[in-house]
Amino acid sequence: MSAGAGVFTLSEPEREAALVPELAALTARHREACPPYRRILDAIGAAPPYERLADLPWLPVRLFKTHELRSVPEDQVFRVLTSSGTTGQRPSRIHLDREAAATQTRMLAATLRAVLGERRLPMLVADTRSVVRDPTLSARGAGVLGMMNFGRDHTFVLDEQGRVDAEAVKGFLSRHGGERFLVFGFTFMVWLHLRGLGADLSQAVLIHSGGWKRLAEQAVDNAEFRRRLAAECGLTRVHNFYGMVEQIGTVFLEGPDGDGFYCPDFADVVIRDPDTWQEAPTGAPGLIEVVSTLPTSYPGHVLLTEDLGVVRGVDDGSWPGKRFEVLGRLPRAEARGCSDTMGQG
Amino acid sequence: MSAVDIRFPAGGTVGVEALLDQVGGALQGELQVGDERVREFLAAFGRRLLRPALARRHPELGSLGFFLRPSELARTVQGLAGEHVRVPRGLVFHVPPANVDTVFVYSWALSALMGNRNIVRLSHRSGTVAETILETLHEALADADPAIAATQRVISYDRSEVVTAALSAACDLRVVWGGDGAVREIRRQALAPHARDLTFPDRSSFAVVRAAAWLCAPRAARVTVAEGFVNDTYWFDQAACSSPRTVFWVGSEGDCDAARADFTEHVARVVTVRGWGVDAAMAVEKRVSTYGLAADGLAESIEFHGNALAVVQLSAAAAAPRRWLGAGTFAHARLGALGELVALVERRDQTMTHFGFGRGELEELARGLAGRGVDRMVPVGSALSFHRVWDGVDLPAEFTRLVTVVR
Repeated sequence: MSAGAGVFTLSEPEREAALVPELAALTARHREACPPYRRILDAIGAAPPYERLADLPWLPVRLFKTHELRSVPEDQVFRVLTSSGTTGQRPSRIHLDREAAATQTRMLAATLRAVLGERRLPMLVADTRSVVRDPTLSARGAGVLGMMNFGRDHTFVLDEQGRVDAEAVKGFLSRHGGERFLVFGFTFMVWLHLRGLGADLSQAVLIHSGGWKRLAEQAVDNAEFRRRLAAECGLTRVHNFYGMVEQIGTVFLEGPDGDGFYCPDFADVVIRDPDTWQEAPTGAPGLIEVVSTLPTSYPGHVLLTEDLGVVRGVDDGSWPGKRFEVLGRLPRAEARGCSDTMGQG
Repeated sequence: MSAVDIRFPAGGTVGVEALLDQVGGALQGELQVGDERVREFLAAFGRRLLRPALARRHPELGSLGFFLRPSELARTVQGLAGEHVRVPRGLVFHVPPANVDTVFVYSWALSALMGNRNIVRLSHRSGTVAETILETLHEALADADPAIAATQRVISYDRSEVVTAALSAACDLRVVWGGDGAVREIRRQALAPHARDLTFPDRSSFAVVRAAAWLCAPRAARVTVAEGFVNDTYWFDQAACSSPRTVFWVGSEGDCDAARADFTEHVARVVTVRGWGVDAAMAVEKRVSTYGLAADGLAESIEFHGNALAVVQLSAAAAAPRRWLGAGTFAHARLGALGELVALVERRDQTMTHFGFGRGELEELARGLAGRGVDRMVPVGSALSFHRVWDGVDLPAEFTRLVTVVR
């Protein structure tokens, strides 16, 4: 994979120079069009000029669970996306107009082209078909369904009972095993079900997501994950990705060497020190702020996530820009007052 | 599924029927209101809580020990004298909250002092402070009259409707602390016809300061009030029902703005000196909640003084939030006069901490509120001090019955 593939072309100075004016304009646009957003910026005294990415006012991503934030009139809303609601939480609601919906699809495709190439590839899914058929589509199901747009001849590794469907995999590999093909799955599903297949996946490009929590419990980190997949099924083209429904269409893709997530040209991350809220230097962990020019129909262009991360390097990896690592979720705050907010028991 | 773990006096696991048999047994002389045996035990227990090492490690145990000193116990008992013969209620079943470890002791100690047999349900999730309390109770038990061990129980059990139902049916008074949800859940279990509930559901609290009094107060007094305010709010992460969430400033706009700014500066300094901090999750929580108030049009301005102190200027006094916004998040609003509170107070408002008002004004406000809300008016700094009259309820009186004797 060459440097400058697809949408991974801009060095950090170029990127910042390109993004700051666009994001500042988006801030002004949302301020104009989204009254709750305007009231927040007014209350915290946010005002231009914004010289650097880190100067832009950010919203906590959880506000999309507690408030309706959109910058287009209701009759122009083309699609409302909802996140998986964590237990006891309302889901996020993301309002897309036609233009924003089209842009996110287009830019997601452009991002994945960097590792998949121009053509739709035959696609193996490390999951069961029922995950996309459930009428109350889970986040996992939605992820699979979304990614299926980028493949063809979709073949599921697991049958309806969740057992490995060796026949289906064998058939798929006999049809496509000699050419480049796409494998997609959630990280822990890949780990559980792909290694034991006894199949040659050396022609595959694996895209996976979903976090490391369940694998960390088994002391499996990214390096071990990649090493074992390479050793046990010849799978060497492995790309984890990081993204969220609140910034739909923007995915931060793991570089070919597994040395971190990279930002597409229309996006970036700022790691913020949760004590000072200033940008943390390279190597210092903090909260991940994701910025993207895609959210034009809702004020989600600068979002503070509740994920911890660290920038590992800038303009020093396989692709230009920042490369960063996600260190896990920030545990939720809990009150310890006499109103027993945690419930009885 | 009717097993309970007896944690005081240490007694292993028994069925709920056996537990009720234990505390229902005949005594060498029933406990009396203000029983000497209980007073001695509580005083010995309180003395142990006041040991310097312990009180330093868990300051809330110091407050508890102070509450249990013999003179305070004597005052509580003396206050009940009257023309009737006061007797215990009988068996009292206490359901304290899971997340404030000392509440169960206040409730239980007053009930025991009133001569009741008690069963306290302690959550399995209770923290290290509760463990320390149980150890200390056991130490004090070694020298106590056997009547204590015979009549008092602290138990834990896994969520079991069978046990809760059996204890509810057997008790003469059920005391439920800790949240509307907990109260509703417990109330699904019937009491005996003669028995009653004493409930302490979700409450919220606020502070009120006369701006002119603040501005005129000497610096030392303002520092003391700021320290008291910090104690009231940061000790339980501002989530205690009696910790203020909103500060109402009474006076002209100019005075209120100046007073609020000076107050905030003092509070910020105390918070820094004391080293109160909040973790990243709490810091994010405060952003989510305060930005949310702004989005709803309730907050005119939001200022952060580090992560430990967030100041929200409300667009109107009627917008005062009752819900928890995260530790050290204070809404501020202005009132022209103290009496304007009458229109703003809600049933769930419990404690009003105050500075700069005379007793007459406060009493007039209390009468004006006419029971619609606010059960305690205490100086800033005393929000968390437990008192035998709590939430508008005279606990020793509630823990007893009166026998009328006429001859």
